[in-house]
Amino acid sequence: MLNHFQALLIFAFCVSVAFAFLSKRRLDEHIRYTVWAFLAFVLVAIGIGWLMFPFSH
Amino acid sequence: MSETNAAKAGIVKDEASPSIARGAAAALCAWIVPGLGHAMLRRWPKAIAYFFAVGVLAIVGLAMRGDVLPASSQDAFDRLGFVADLGTGGYYFFSKTLEPSGPDDSKAAGDYGTRIFAAAGVLNFLIILEAYEIGRRPPRRTRDLQA
Repeated sequence: MLNHFQALLIFAFCVSVAFAFLSKRRLDEHIRYTVWAFLAFVLVAIGIGWLMFPFSH
Repeated sequence: MSETNAAKAGIVKDEASPSIARGAAAALCAWIVPGLGHAMLRRWPKAIAYFFAVGVLAIVGLAMRGDVLPASSQDAFDRLGFVADLGTGGYYFFSKTLEPSGPDDSKAAGDYGTRIFAAAGVLNFLIILEAYEIGRRPPRRTRDLQA
């Protein structure tokens, strides 16, 4: 079974790939957009996680 | 391009006109199996990317024992969830076969699975719309000659 972080990584990667193919035309643009969106998803999720941390105690 | 030149190039007029039937067929295929609509339109890289992106999300959502909402949902949010889930097409109808244990909302993973499966459905709606748009357009060769 996947842990939550692994699920987050898979979700971020799949959605980034789909968005890249939906919005860009060339292969190099696909790759650049996928990497950018993937990192944005993961960093924002970790950032929001840290912001919510004080409320979990 | 004049009609004479078009005739010389072997292009019939019907081929150049937008085809709603072709777009609808592509959209239907894209709904049943994500990526199939684009494969039908010979957009192979997109077809492969969409097949795996939506397929992996749907299978991960089911493997995490996410809830697949039925049409008979009473709550407004559940009805919205049903529409989102329905977007996964074949994965929705075969969800019981793919995950025989069924949903388990008692753990956080089950809740995440529900959202991931719904996200796969919403993503596939965008893919269906794109398949319809591509299908409606005249074939590439004809468009290039018209330009």
